[in-house]
Amino acid sequence: MAKFSRRAFIGGSTAVVGGLVVADHLRFFEPLSKLAPEGSNDLLGDRENGLLTGNETVYRTGHSNNCDGACGHLVHVVDGRVTMIGPAAFGGTTISGAPAPTFHPRICLRGLSQISNTYNPDRVKYPYKRVGPRGSGKWQRISWEEATSLIASKFQEVQAKYGKTSVWIAPYTGSLAFIEGVVGAGFRFASVIGASAGDSEGDNEGDSATPAGWNYLLVDPTLPANAGGFFTGHESVDFMNAKTIVFWANNVAETSIPDWRIMCDARDEKGTRLISIDPRFTVTSAQSDQWLPIRPGADAALVDGIINYVIGHKLYDTGYVRKYTVGPYLIDPRTKRWLRANEVIAGAKDDYVVYDESDGQIKAAGDPSLKTPAILGSYRVAGLRARTAFQALADMASKYTPEYTEKLTDVPAAQIVSLAKVWGTSKPLAVRVGFGLSHWYRGDLSMQALVTLQAITGNIGVHGGGVTTFAGGMTTTAFDFTGFWSPTGKLYTLLEPMDFCDAVEHDKPFPVRAAWFMIDNFAQQMSDRNRVVAAMKKLDFIVVSDYVLSATADIADVVLPACTYLEKTDLLSSNNFYLQYMPKIIDPLFESKSDLDAIRLVAEKMGVGKYFDQSPDEYLRQIMQLGQPDESPLLKGLTWERLTSEAVHLNTEPTPYVPFFNKQFPTRSGKIEFYVEMLLPYDQELCDFKEPIEAWPTNPLHKKYPLVFLSTHTRFRTHSQFVNLPWLKEINYGGQGFLEINPKDARPRRIDEGDVVRIFNDRGQMKVRARLTESMKPGVVNCYQGGWDTIRVKNYIEGHPNNLTHQIANPAQSVIPNFPSNAAYYDVLVEVEKA
Amino acid sequence: MAAKTKSRTRHYAMVIDTNRCVGCWTCAVACKEVNNEPLGYWWNRVLTTAPNQSTSAKPPASPNIDVPYGVYPNLELAYLPVACQQCNDAPCVKVCPVQATFRRDDGMVLIDYNRCIGCRYCMAACPYGVRVFNWGGHEYAPGGTVGYGKDYYVDGRLVFTPYRPKGIVEKCTFCVERVDVGEKPFCVESCPLGARVFGDLDDPDSEVSKLVNEGGAEQLQSDLGTDPNVYYLPVARRVPGES
Repeated sequence: MAKFSRRAFIGGSTAVVGGLVVADHLRFFEPLSKLAPEGSNDLLGDRENGLLTGNETVYRTGHSNNCDGACGHLVHVVDGRVTMIGPAAFGGTTISGAPAPTFHPRICLRGLSQISNTYNPDRVKYPYKRVGPRGSGKWQRISWEEATSLIASKFQEVQAKYGKTSVWIAPYTGSLAFIEGVVGAGFRFASVIGASAGDSEGDNEGDSATPAGWNYLLVDPTLPANAGGFFTGHESVDFMNAKTIVFWANNVAETSIPDWRIMCDARDEKGTRLISIDPRFTVTSAQSDQWLPIRPGADAALVDGIINYVIGHKLYDTGYVRKYTVGPYLIDPRTKRWLRANEVIAGAKDDYVVYDESDGQIKAAGDPSLKTPAILGSYRVAGLRARTAFQALADMASKYTPEYTEKLTDVPAAQIVSLAKVWGTSKPLAVRVGFGLSHWYRGDLSMQALVTLQAITGNIGVHGGGVTTFAGGMTTTAFDFTGFWSPTGKLYTLLEPMDFCDAVEHDKPFPVRAAWFMIDNFAQQMSDRNRVVAAMKKLDFIVVSDYVLSATADIADVVLPACTYLEKTDLLSSNNFYLQYMPKIIDPLFESKSDLDAIRLVAEKMGVGKYFDQSPDEYLRQIMQLGQPDESPLLKGLTWERLTSEAVHLNTEPTPYVPFFNKQFPTRSGKIEFYVEMLLPYDQELCDFKEPIEAWPTNPLHKKYPLVFLSTHTRFRTHSQFVNLPWLKEINYGGQGFLEINPKDARPRRIDEGDVVRIFNDRGQMKVRARLTESMKPGVVNCYQGGWDTIRVKNYIEGHPNNLTHQIANPAQSVIPNFPSNAAYYDVLVEVEKA
Repeated sequence: MAAKTKSRTRHYAMVIDTNRCVGCWTCAVACKEVNNEPLGYWWNRVLTTAPNQSTSAKPPASPNIDVPYGVYPNLELAYLPVACQQCNDAPCVKVCPVQATFRRDDGMVLIDYNRCIGCRYCMAACPYGVRVFNWGGHEYAPGGTVGYGKDYYVDGRLVFTPYRPKGIVEKCTFCVERVDVGEKPFCVESCPLGARVFGDLDDPDSEVSKLVNEGGAEQLQSDLGTDPNVYYLPVARRVPGES
């Protein structure tokens, strides 16, 4: 029967495009129902034909589509067609054979729906070039030969005229696989042609603020071994070891559904307490034992309130602060920098300075006679009165009384006290931080505060503790990505997504005139979208590789048909520490090609084809350095046969993985630096709360635009992926977006359930229907992001949430080169009116 | 393929832990996939409810998914996945004028699709509203036949076929074709929360037995006397709905 339905849509499609005519709209992007004669999709008349009678083969793969869940899929194939996807088991042992903790098979509604993603009639099936004005939707089908010749010649033309880096390659996080994803072949291509490229952390999605805040305390980016900063977290099963888990701006139960099982297991098997901190009453809030409704953007203030209580009530971990943090080190009151031993102690070497409680002497931190460095107090040193760093923290936090913290956070003082008591007494305590926290201008500061609190309570580097956003399958040490990216030894030039508009409009830091977007819906998902699209339209040449006609493809000059994860070979290692080989399960549909194959064709025409002439398997072997002298201990003992036959856990130490388990911190001091010297120029050396850049009541703009505008994630999509899948649309209002608004905000605006509303600020506007719900904090509204605003598909009546967001960058993050400022997607004010 | 009649000593039951259910609809999508359900048809649905409410006990806060009960910040929210309850004393079996709906010895309530005449008495009789009438003229998700994809007979009766004929009634089969070969129903296998347990109530050591006999699992609308083989564990938050 496969015959029947495939014939229906392949045949229909070919009929339309066969003549290579210029179409004013692409009929082959339309749903099957419109292509096929009425009723022909009713297979009942030929029911026997629908039976799957052929031989079935079952493959194991990983689902790489950017949700970080890293589910394993069992893919059933009958007669060359995928007929069923289910959850696959994980191996249960490390590469070296040690037992790995129970990791249940995992899948969710999006993974199960992947079949209709791969076989979707909306797929881009052939290469196209634009024939009308940019963005007009007028296309002509062309051959791969013509498409790749055009790309090569345009890139060469632009590079000759504006410099090598004027071509920008933007391969981002639409996939987390190795060759065609966040660390993928696009970077290799950028390197060998001398182009610029975005960074592999996908910062345009708003992900870098919390990693930066984490690095402030835990990683010195200037140390060569740290390579500009890194980010990792506790392996998800390590949450089983926590006594309390705090979900901070993290709707796990909706956005990382399989991870929520681990939290439920911890609660039901170990009695772990679950606490949700969120301005919205989310599914996670509903499932938690306790929910603290917080004013959006006030996160650091709440943490400071807890720090004040914990210090004031001596609930901190004295031994931990003394041994593993910079708490005892004295600060020079004149410069606010660390007091140096060689400047204040005769004959001492360059070192930190401490006060030894046991003999009342000022000593260098490395003094062998040092017994008990004081963690609190201020001491006379060389005519100065110098505080310890922990005293400085205590002094800073002292103003955050429960009452003052309530004023800032809108969380009742009694709840703040109760949370602080839990924090100080229920250990180990784990914090799971959502990227929602990163979507604020001060997201770095919020994370800085959380790591500070976790440090003084002794919760860093221990099982069941930590501050985790995701666990690093992307361990920077295990894989040779740099070698893969730069086969000639020369790396591409970095151009952050946040710098794209300036590069196009003002040639800063250098001109960009052409771009190739892969797995990336930049024109819709990047903030301040009106500005982004205007800049994109100024480019001389845009290539988009995708399997759907995205908002970004809408304004391209050439669109290339990409493969889905079932049609190409790759490797997935993300969120958990299992390596999942992704075999090519079916041949690419229509004329689609993997990005590696597409790049190879362009590279050949640009004279650099030799860097792309190997198979995905060969590149994977190189990235993993299997059996080579440089092979990481994490991979030691792994054979290709084992890699391709099961999901195998890395040799992590410990298992489950805990960052800094040995309490060796890769900072300048070797300790957790909650007093961050490198942030002195930003007046941010301690985690003292600062107001958000826009969404805060004291901002004068608040009078004009009194509502905080969130654009959170829904279970029915991963960013702008899976939007068009029929099963998911059926349970998600046909895919139509809506604005969640509290009745208290709706009533004075005369907005009723289902009314069309206009959401606007100075940057733009959008229209959707209103959904009145008590889940929203009064003064806060939410519109799920990621729905499509393309020429053909309007999931919002008009616009997209990113018409309202901005690109105001936080300069403090520049101290961590790998995590410069992302866009503060949630730090946004709007007004809403009935349309 | 057709299992011959022999005495079955099992008594299948399912327990759904509503304390774990996050309303993600993965079970419903899994059901749709394995059974090749057409667009618009759901044998398994997930209701947004207040905690521990039977389907008909309290009107929804809103017809919309995820909309909680109460006033901010004193809120509560839970979900209730509902498919055929596989009743021991099934009203649908009693009213079927042609004995198309029948109960197998092991507790599975099945429909003989060759026999059903589409009178829909069973739909009127079912207090859980879980049977769907096949109006024909369907659309399907793209990709062709998905799921089990073959006909399956029990005692010579067609109890599963990937394209059900127009004019019959269809519903959850407890994935009889999978269970008969030792697999779990696909919703149980797919639930990302591990919230669904399937097993043999006649085996006192099975997890379902323990949950039903000692774990506080309850039947939906048990006062109706239909004696379902689907049980629900209640929502039990430590500090329920605390703001």
